[in-house]
Amino acid sequence: MFPTLAVLRTSVTDFDPTLPGRAKHGDEQAFIKIVEFYYPRCLRFARNMLGSEQDAEEAVQDTFVRVHDSFPRFREDARFDPWLFRILANRCRTLMARNRRHRSVIEYGDVPQTATAEHEIGADWAEEVRVVLDTLPAEQREAFLLRHVEDLSYEDISAMTGAGLSALRMRVKRACDALCARLTDGSKDDRRIG
Amino acid sequence: MSNFIRWTARLLGVAAIASAPQFVGAQEARLLAIRDDATRDFVRQFVEAARVRGTPTEPLVSRALEGVAFKADRKRIEQAMAALEKRLRRSRDLLGAKATADEVAAGADALAADVPAGMIQEMKKLAPQRQITVELGVLTELVAKGISPKVAAERIKELMARGATGAQLTELNAAVQQDVALGIKPVAALELRGRGVMSLLPPPASVNSAQRR
Amino acid sequence: MIEESDELIVRAARALSGMPPTKAGAVARVLMAVRANQARPLPFWKRAMRRFDETSVSAKAAGLLMAASLVIGFFARGTVGNARDSFAGGSELSGPALQSIANMPAESRPVPVAVAVELANAKTVAVVGDFNGWDPSVTPMQRVGKDGPWSATVLAKPGRHTYAFMVDGATLVADPRAPRAKSSDFDGDASVMMVRTP
Repeated sequence: MFPTLAVLRTSVTDFDPTLPGRAKHGDEQAFIKIVEFYYPRCLRFARNMLGSEQDAEEAVQDTFVRVHDSFPRFREDARFDPWLFRILANRCRTLMARNRRHRSVIEYGDVPQTATAEHEIGADWAEEVRVVLDTLPAEQREAFLLRHVEDLSYEDISAMTGAGLSALRMRVKRACDALCARLTDGSKDDRRIG
Repeated sequence: MSNFIRWTARLLGVAAIASAPQFVGAQEARLLAIRDDATRDFVRQFVEAARVRGTPTEPLVSRALEGVAFKADRKRIEQAMAALEKRLRRSRDLLGAKATADEVAAGADALAADVPAGMIQEMKKLAPQRQITVELGVLTELVAKGISPKVAAERIKELMARGATGAQLTELNAAVQQDVALGIKPVAALELRGRGVMSLLPPPASVNSAQRR
Repeated sequence: MIEESDELIVRAARALSGMPPTKAGAVARVLMAVRANQARPLPFWKRAMRRFDETSVSAKAAGLLMAASLVIGFFARGTVGNARDSFAGGSELSGPALQSIANMPAESRPVPVAVAVELANAKTVAVVGDFNGWDPSVTPMQRVGKDGPWSATVLAKPGRHTYAFMVDGATLVADPRAPRAKSSDFDGDASVMMVRTP
């Protein structure tokens, strides 16, 4: 079914828009190229949603398994990104529910733990943003990431999540308000200066 | 949907068996699967004696029926039941009188895998009010994968102390199994996946208070 | 009033936009997982659940689904007689028996676990294990299509379980995809399944 792993190419620069249609009709090379192209982006979203590299890898792997299963049902006239991210967002939600993350104990100033349990005083800007992002309700976090990081339109996000446009705009707005309030407060926090 | 109805019905059947008054009858009926009369009589008497001693009997019946399924002769079944009964008693001593039958059986499995008795006791001390059946099962499987009992038990204890749930430990075990299948050394896989679980757990209270100053 | 285009938001989004490094072999692992999934078709209920990943599930739809499940479960009481026969010695089911399951802590409550195996030449296959008294009559497996894999759902409490497949009523076969149960008690291979608390 797949070529041996040794001949897999590892770099794809431009995305060929015919790939999803070809993968739908059983072109395995097309599917491989889709994975190679979208893997980093999916990992980025999952990492930002879940806060853990391990969980993010699991979510992304599971997503592509489901994408492969579901390709026969993919409508070729639909855009691929929202379809893919719908599956990915659902997987992230499932993992979050499964892991029962203790969101309430993650306080501002704590760096989200990845490979180690140590807390880094003076974490860099990206980590700080992730810390605050982590404190948001999952729906707000998801909406913010899909809109401002993955650059999907409100219409696409609405179709993916089932939420109405105004509800989505409210979620994004609340996420922005919280980010601004907490990131601005953080600049005055002694702990960050370390 | 027929699958849903079937397993819902079986779930209700399990409830019936689990209720005490019917349990003895259910066990006796299952012994009828042992066709050899001498073996069946031995098992019946052995299980009754174990019940009088306060040893959980369900694991013993299950072991006997496993032997029947594997077409073991009476001598092998007797030896297996005797060895298991000894481990069940030891496990009960380690886990305490309030331990459930499943927990005691899981402890016996861990002892069979050469997990030091003291480690089992220390694990129970970390969760005195709840069952640690899943935790003991994960420990047994990690040891089966080639990780030394002491190292595996220390890691499980560490994660339990930080609040890891049974579900998280089950996922840890599955991830380690997968990693080993991909060629990663078992100890390295446990270390890697253990850190992954650790990163999901709330920090220790002492770290939090130091941060707050 | 904070606008989405606020400079801080733009900076924050940019900070989150960095692509994390893709570990060596990550794509290969995805493809291996896809391959493994293809070799292991899912039972109907899992396939149905996966369809939801492709669609947006509003709270209303989820509520309707839950209500439908409760109604079906209510009517499923009528099929209990068939299941009771499988559990020899079971008595009349009553409110207390049902209540006992509801009162069980999560770590004691049996969980449905899907099991599947490829055994092309078998005429009958059953799952046997410590969760069903090693009795092949409790969990016979169904074949998917004429030559497809065999599948069944067992009920097992959270924790470690040993099991095997009874083929044609005579031979015990381990699950090729599961870890082996190391037991010197009997000659033969059993497998291990770890059931997680739901």
